[in-house]
Order: sequence, then C-alpha cells, then structure tokens
Amino acid sequence: MMTSQTRATTPTRSGEVPARGEVRQPDPRQLFIRWQRGGDPVAREALVQRYMPLARSLTRRYGRSSEPFEDLLQVASLGLLKAIDRYDLERGHPFQSFAVPTILGEMRRYFRDSGWAIHVPRGAQERALRVRDARERLANEHGHAPTVNQLAEYLEIDCEDVLDALQAIQAYETVSLDAPRPGSDEGAAAYGDSIGTDDERYELVELDATLSAVLGHIPARERLILRMRYVEDLTQSEIADRVGISQMQVSRLLRRSLDQLRSLTHAPAAAD
Amino acid sequence: MAGLPNVRLNLPSRPENVLLVRQALRGLADTVALDAIELNDISTALSEACNNVVVHAYPGGQGPMVVEMQGSADGLEMLVRDRGHGLKPHASEPSEIGGIGIPVMLALADSVEFSAVNGEGTDVRMRFATPKGAVLAGQDGGEETSDEAVGELLVEADGGLEGVNGELESVHLAVGPPRLARAVLARVLAAVAARARFSTERIATTGPLAEQLVDHLAEPLQDRRLTLTATVAPRRLDLLVGPIPAESSLEGLTPALERLTDGHGVSRSGSTDLLALRLSDAGPEQASRKKNNGMPGDHGEPRRHTA
Repeated sequence: MMTSQTRATTPTRSGEVPARGEVRQPDPRQLFIRWQRGGDPVAREALVQRYMPLARSLTRRYGRSSEPFEDLLQVASLGLLKAIDRYDLERGHPFQSFAVPTILGEMRRYFRDSGWAIHVPRGAQERALRVRDARERLANEHGHAPTVNQLAEYLEIDCEDVLDALQAIQAYETVSLDAPRPGSDEGAAAYGDSIGTDDERYELVELDATLSAVLGHIPARERLILRMRYVEDLTQSEIADRVGISQMQVSRLLRRSLDQLRSLTHAPAAAD
Repeated sequence: MAGLPNVRLNLPSRPENVLLVRQALRGLADTVALDAIELNDISTALSEACNNVVVHAYPGGQGPMVVEMQGSADGLEMLVRDRGHGLKPHASEPSEIGGIGIPVMLALADSVEFSAVNGEGTDVRMRFATPKGAVLAGQDGGEETSDEAVGELLVEADGGLEGVNGELESVHLAVGPPRLARAVLARVLAAVAARARFSTERIATTGPLAEQLVDHLAEPLQDRRLTLTATVAPRRLDLLVGPIPAESSLEGLTPALERLTDGHGVSRSGSTDLLALRLSDAGPEQASRKKNNGMPGDHGEPRRHTA
C-alpha cells in the first residue's frame, strides 16, 4: 500500500550531492563490468569517484562524534573499495545496499580494533575541556555566559557536541568540587595548555570523562561520598560524620560504588 | 514492545527534534551498560529513522514523530512511528546517492521491521542486541529494591507546529522510576534550555533541577508516572510537573525550587495537581558579570543539597 509512491529520495539535508559537476557519467554497470571482468583500473577509479559521496555521507552519519573525520573517511574509503571489488552485479541488488553495510562494517571494525570504544572518552574529554575553556573565555570577553549556539559557532562544532560536553563538565563538577589539589606529575602537558598546572583536576576530568557515561548509575549520595573520599581526601570516619551515617556504611557504599564503576567502565569491548 | 516503553517521545517532525531524540537516547545509555560503539550504532540508526520521518513522512508539512525506547535483558528496542507516509518498506532501490537511510538501519540494527499502521503511518521497529543487556545494573542507594528494567519515561512534545525560532513550543514528558528519569530528564531539559537560548550558566542548573524533581516527585511515585510539560519560548521555559505525590513532597523541594527556578506554584489539571515552574534567562542584557581569571572555584552553579 505504500510501495507505489515514487517520491524522490535524495535527502537534501546534508548535501550529499556528488561534488563534481555532473559530467556525463558512464553507466556504473559498465564500469563494474570493465573493472571486475576486465581489470580496468580507470573504471575502478571512476567508480570510486562516483561513490565517494556515499562513503563521505556514511562517515558523517556514523562518525558524527568521532574526532578526526579524515581518518575515518579513509577507513570508509577502504570499505568502499572492498565493496567495489566484491559487489556482485549478477545478484541484481543495487550497489548501495551492498556498499552501505560493507562500509559501515569497515568503520565499525576500525572502531573495535583501534580501541575507539575506550578512547572515545578521550576525544570527548578534550572537547569538554575546550568547551569549558571557551565558555570562560567568552564569558570574560562578553561579561556573560555564552549560549550553546555561541559556543558551537565559536568552536566550530555541533550544538549537540556542546551539549554533550556540558553534561560531562557538569558530571565532573559534581564529582570533583572545585578545589584543585596541588602537586602532581607533568603528564598532562600533552593535553596542551588548557589545563595549565592543575593536573590533578585534569586527572579528574579524565576519570570523569571515562565515567561520565556511567556516573548516572551512581546515586547522588554515593557520588558525594566518592568525591569526599577521593577528591577532598577525607577519611571514612570524617565522611561518616558529614553525611550522618556510620563509618561502616561509608565503607560499604564506597566499595559498592567502586565495584559498580569498575564493572561498568571495564565493560569488555565485546571480543570481536 | 510489551507494556509501556521505557522512554517515549512524541515530537513534531522537525529536524531539530532529532537532536532531542538522540539526547534522550544518551540519557538512556548513561543508565545502561552500552559501550560507545553500541551507542553509536543505535544513535546512527535511530537518527536515520527519525530523519526519514522528518524528510518524508509529511510532504510539505509536519506531523507527529513518536519514538519509543525499551530496554530488556537482551538489548534495546527502538520504535519510530509516523502518521504520514514515513518509509516505503521495500524501498530498497535507493536512488544513486540518496536513500541510504534504510540500508544504514538494516546494517546497524540486529533486526528491522517496517509496518504500515492502518494504511496511515509507518512503524519502524529496530532491535539491537547488547551483550550486557540493557537492564539497569546495580542498585540505587539501597533504599530502592526494584531491579526491573529501565522503567518508564514518557516524553511528548506537541504544539508549536508552526514553531520557527521564537515561537512557542511545548514538550510533554512523563517519568517513571528514578534512575533513568534522572539521566533522560537532565539531557532533555538541557536540550530544551539550549533551544530556549539559555546561557550555559543557566543550562547548568537544569541538571540539579532534574535531580531534585526526580528525587522529590518521581521517587515517591513508585510505579506511577511523573509527567512534565515544557513550553519553550525565547529565554523562557515553562514547566508543568506532576502529579505531585503528596503535599509533603513539595516541602522538601521548595528550597531547591527557590534556588533553581524563577517562579513556582501549583496548577490543577483535572484531578491532578501539577507543579508549575518558570525558568528564564535574562540573556546578555542583564546577565551578571562572570568572575574572571579562570580559576577553579569559579562555577557558580547551585549545588545540589544532600540529605
């Protein structure tokens, strides 16, 4: 009942129109035949050109929050090549329906193999720091805190990335309190000047960025206790006094929170 | 999807609402053990399904886009529904470059079903197996005994169909068990606050507000739902939250409301009492000057009060 519609399906929103001005493209069937049967590299190149926008579009969609777009585009291109080499004309499926899963599969494998699932917090954390710094810079310049749109524009990132960064910053601030503790190693220098000297804070940001995805599991009171213990460095008894529970309870809650965080953050990246 | 979904959004089919869907998903992901790749897969496929509704379901106009998310021990199920001509289930003859939405969904989800709803509208149902399941892990604070699946959260946005920037827009939301509610509510509130063009400083107060609302209103509700309706206007959010479980629940909440909102009261809707809240952000004109020097300690967000 819905199959009779023939609406044009070219999505307009992300402009995946082939970049080159429509120069009378040869029939892709012919190109596939020339490449797959005749080994004609020119035909292959033409196919790559023709379907590159597909790889680019998939990279944008699937990799929207992964940092180096160009790297991922390379991976997608590799997937595209595989798809061009393996596509079976005879089966009559459109190339796209074969290429899309092939290219996505390639990107996904890359994510798995490169430990992206583990490192993605790092990209997110760098972005959170950039957002935090930009927020302060703009606030100082303009005398008021910027909006999400202003930050997005300033940093040339998506509003959505700004929102995610704000969530991470907030989770971090909830956990860490604002007081930095002095003295720590210089390892954070690699992260550029955004943190300056308060490396301890940096570690917390890192901890937090890794944990921000799972902190939601930890009830507010336990987050508070974690913070008192590991940020303010209070003893369990001091915490017990402040929170108004027994030291035993503090101990139990700490253990449980840590176990919970550990089990969540060490979620195996699914043995492929 | 048996019973009530964990998260339900009913939104006008506008491009910017896809962001709201993704933010709600991130909130859900914050409370279940999804790894980054799983989340990326689901988020991408879900965005494709929503974009299809936005682009194709209501030619030349817009209509409802319903998104339901359901967690279980095996994984997550996502439903995207329109009341127009959403997807052509067998549109597997995509044009040259366009129409990759369906292949993307098929590639990323473990199963995808398309069904026409009474000849009007389409359901797209996607299942994602997650090795660790999508049931909340662990207990919450010990007081809570329920270890059931994620619980319900209903987010509905309607009205403002003509809404361009600056027009009113309503978001309606209902919340079940607390853990999920906290995460999703915080995300959704921050996203609507951003849309209302609040400053980041003001947006930072929506997280604590979400927590307070859930702590005081959702916790006592147990298995009932908490609803929230938000009307978005430039630099202003009007929220209706309820039902208020008992008069007493407001007492504990009031100090937080004094701090985090610009006005609160009780509003009766049928037989139910709702909490009416106004959040506003003056904007650049009268915004308070920021403290300088970028030292830590510089974040003025109200702190959550702790019991």
